[in-house]
Amino acid sequence: MKRELNINHLTRVEGHGAVNIVIENEMLKEIKLRFTEGPRFFEFITRERLYSEIPKIVSRICGICYVSHRLASSLAVEDAFGVKVTPEIELLRKLLVVGEYLESHALHLYFLALPDYMGYPSAIAMAKDYPNIVRRGFFIKEVGNRIMKLIGGKTVHGENILPGGFKSVPSVDDLKKVQEDLHRVLPEIKATISLFDSLDYPEFNDPHELQMCVEADDPLSFGDKVTLSDGTVFTKQEYELFVEEKVSDYSTAKCSTIKEKPFLIGPLARVNHYADRLLEGTKKQLFLLKNSFPSSNSLHANLARAIEILEFALRGIEITEVLINASPFKGEVPVAPKKGTGFGVKEAPRGTLYHRYSFDDTGRCVSANIITPTAQLQAVIERDLKSLVERSKEASDEELKKRAEMLIRAYDP
Amino acid sequence: MVKIGIMGLTGCSGCQCEILNCEEAIYRLIEKVEISYFPLAQDNNSFGEFEILFVEGSVTTEEDERKVKEGRERAKFLVAVGSCACYGGVQSQRNDEASLEEMLLAVYGRKELPVKVQKPRAVSEVVKVDYELPGCPLDKRQFVYAVASILNGVKPFFPKIPVCHECKLSETECLTLKGIPCQGPVTFAGCGAPCTASGVGCQGCRGNCDFPNFEEMVEILKKNGLSTGDAVKFLKVFRGYQSKEIKLSEGVVENEKGA
Repeated sequence: MKRELNINHLTRVEGHGAVNIVIENEMLKEIKLRFTEGPRFFEFITRERLYSEIPKIVSRICGICYVSHRLASSLAVEDAFGVKVTPEIELLRKLLVVGEYLESHALHLYFLALPDYMGYPSAIAMAKDYPNIVRRGFFIKEVGNRIMKLIGGKTVHGENILPGGFKSVPSVDDLKKVQEDLHRVLPEIKATISLFDSLDYPEFNDPHELQMCVEADDPLSFGDKVTLSDGTVFTKQEYELFVEEKVSDYSTAKCSTIKEKPFLIGPLARVNHYADRLLEGTKKQLFLLKNSFPSSNSLHANLARAIEILEFALRGIEITEVLINASPFKGEVPVAPKKGTGFGVKEAPRGTLYHRYSFDDTGRCVSANIITPTAQLQAVIERDLKSLVERSKEASDEELKKRAEMLIRAYDP
Repeated sequence: MVKIGIMGLTGCSGCQCEILNCEEAIYRLIEKVEISYFPLAQDNNSFGEFEILFVEGSVTTEEDERKVKEGRERAKFLVAVGSCACYGGVQSQRNDEASLEEMLLAVYGRKELPVKVQKPRAVSEVVKVDYELPGCPLDKRQFVYAVASILNGVKPFFPKIPVCHECKLSETECLTLKGIPCQGPVTFAGCGAPCTASGVGCQGCRGNCDFPNFEEMVEILKKNGLSTGDAVKFLKVFRGYQSKEIKLSEGVVENEKGA
């Protein structure tokens, strides 16, 4: 008996995607996750452009995680030209990332994921019965937006994020306002953690053989290395040599593997890895949960997101304190182009992001390579879908489709 | 109830996110209309008749083209949102420099993809567009104003004055005079000029204002440190098909290097 399941248009995910599942005589025959997004040729359109144009162009890869693209590309430009930024600029960048994660994770948690668990088609529909829950999502998002607007210049695609730093920096008054906002949002984030801890996550425990994230002292830092859960640590220069990208014959996203294996990236991989390096305030919340980390349930990526925004908000409060004391400080260091290649890795909200550019001696881009979280996630999502289908053969088509969508959304591709 | 749709073609979803950022407006909107199609934010999408259909992104695949043509047939008003939908966006900046095959080979190492790909185009190059809300992303205040106007039977109107006008209103010091490359003089205002306020020159994401003088703009950008070739590339980033209007006098070497 042949059973075919097709989800032709995945909803509540950022990109465009579809899933095809074929089961024959109780055996899974085929699983294809297809990203059907049109190509945008970023690695081509950056060529011949001046280094100063690069972060602006590539930030347009993603409207939700644009800060990560801008920073990863700025880090790569700085790496190529041997530019070192000041500790204050680095802190201001971290504060910007706090804003990005609050916005992106709140959008994901409340608007993309939560409706599944609450049984609604959307957060907008949920707002009629749960106005305060939806408003909480809006509020956390709004605090993130305010931080991005203040430091980046605009909520989405802020142009003030450049190689070498920022053209202008926030005033002490502005930083104090950020601090107040972060204090105000803490109870809402804690409530978010409780909410996402209380959800009924379908049992799904198929350990991820490989997990990967940026290696640094804390989850908010920018690192030059990447750690794998099997103990391997590789440098940003080695990234392309480990993460093997293949062009898929059914998806417009390239498909990545490491050592021929799918690998987990993103909030769950990060919280699993950083659990013992989290701030005391976050650890205290973790201790109260009924779920625990490290976890191998891919759906717990949602709970991991809630934990990350607490960690980042707490770190954001510390950062604003340091920056207030350091004010006024210079936001920019000079950048002088030279011939060379630079690398930038960064944890975007969805997972590890990699940018590499080569420049000629006038600072014009000669070649580029960008490896996005979505490309790296294709293989691991397919692996999870396979395991999900094998466990849920008794489920009706409707039920199976729903579970598959929930699983894919947990990755936020 | 009147129905509204929000469709995403090839783009970054930034404009759809900016629409979701209109918290209070969305609460008030759903009291009066039904958002019947919005795949980024909801499951229960129906592709019926729309009073207004907002379209984000450029037409880059055969599927994009089919979707937007079908959407056009069902929509009373079609509004292109963001620079990708209005002009073709960042992905179309090298349309005149390279063939589609060359771009595919450079990025994917092959000439064909699992979807049928076209050179990125603006929505108006494919179907009739009633209103355009450019910007990268669109400005959410303009979105709210446009929705409110259309639903009340009023034509939304956005004068195509240059961004310089808004710098004067907000008393932002002129960056061009400070020697910073800025596209304010040739760019369609309406954003409130947030980039220049943070000290970054206008990047031209909202496309052309009325009667842009590109020849003079290139001369000014050259005075501020760019070569002719870099100045033209700088102007082209967001302008898509509008960059055809960037014409230079004879004798100007397009690709001259060195700043």
